Amino acid sequence: MPFVLTAVGAALAVALELFEAMAIVLAVALSRRPSAALAGAGAATLACAALAVVVGPVLVAQVAGDALRVVVGIALLLFGMEWLRKGVLRLAGRRARSDSYAEFLAEREALAEEEPPAAGRFDWPGFVVAFKGVLLEGVEVILIVTVLAARPGGLAPALVGGAAAVVLVIGLGLLLHRPLRRLPESELKYVVGLVLTTFGTFFCAEGLGVDWPLGDAGLLVVLAVWLVISQAMVRALSAAPPRARSRRVVA
Amino acid sequence: MLRTLRKLVLGETWSLPIGIAVAVVIAVAVRAVAGAGGWWQHGGGYVLLALLVVAFVAALRFPR
Repeated sequence: MPFVLTAVGAALAVALELFEAMAIVLAVALSRRPSAALAGAGAATLACAALAVVVGPVLVAQVAGDALRVVVGIALLLFGMEWLRKGVLRLAGRRARSDSYAEFLAEREALAEEEPPAAGRFDWPGFVVAFKGVLLEGVEVILIVTVLAARPGGLAPALVGGAAAVVLVIGLGLLLHRPLRRLPESELKYVVGLVLTTFGTFFCAEGLGVDWPLGDAGLLVVLAVWLVISQAMVRALSAAPPRARSRRVVA
Repeated sequence: MLRTLRKLVLGETWSLPIGIAVAVVIAVAVRAVAGAGGWWQHGGGYVLLALLVVAFVAALRFPR
């Protein structure tokens, strides 16, 4: 059970972040120069790889045993509950839905308004846009996969899920040359929030000396509680007066 | 840059990370009072879960 949940959580988190990064890279490639987009994305990927090499071993080597579980649990809670909070707000209509295709169109529009790259010169503005987009999404990917992998038995499923997502997203990008239009990103991000929050709760409690009565199956109980609570919040926030709702919509 | 990093790690609000911190600190205090081998060993997880649920609902109700 933990293997599947970890793999699914890592795969979804990586895929969703990479979809956002891909939208920016494709926008640069189609609006300016593919070479600048690829160079920016490649440089950011190298930076993320360097971060992964530094963060992972340091986290595991410096913190051991129960302390590691608490640290990993809190990190998962910080990421998971934030994704879950945003997911609840999106599903309740209090926040704009997540849409990589709309970001792709907006980025293309913004890039089209800028001065085109001079002939024979490297397109540095395009490079910077692609680099920044991939770096910001990539750092979040590295942090999430690292904390999922740092818990006991988490390395293999986190890497399997993450690698599958990388292959899927890059394959789709090469095949379609545009982000997917009908991907239910808001719902998928909500699911990632549920999974990360469940793991965070579970491991933080274990680090504090708890033996869950059902063992690993206790993950399902925790998941069910977060599902019920978050759905109740979606309903409660959806039912709020329209005036209060419109005031709080965030892009 | 620091602002982006803070948003990346702690999220968009302060209420959620503070709520998580308070929940964990209270759980540690309850564990210290209850004793590591007592009821906490089997029921402590649900105490932490309840505290985190309160933090989550509060962060949604009072986003700061």
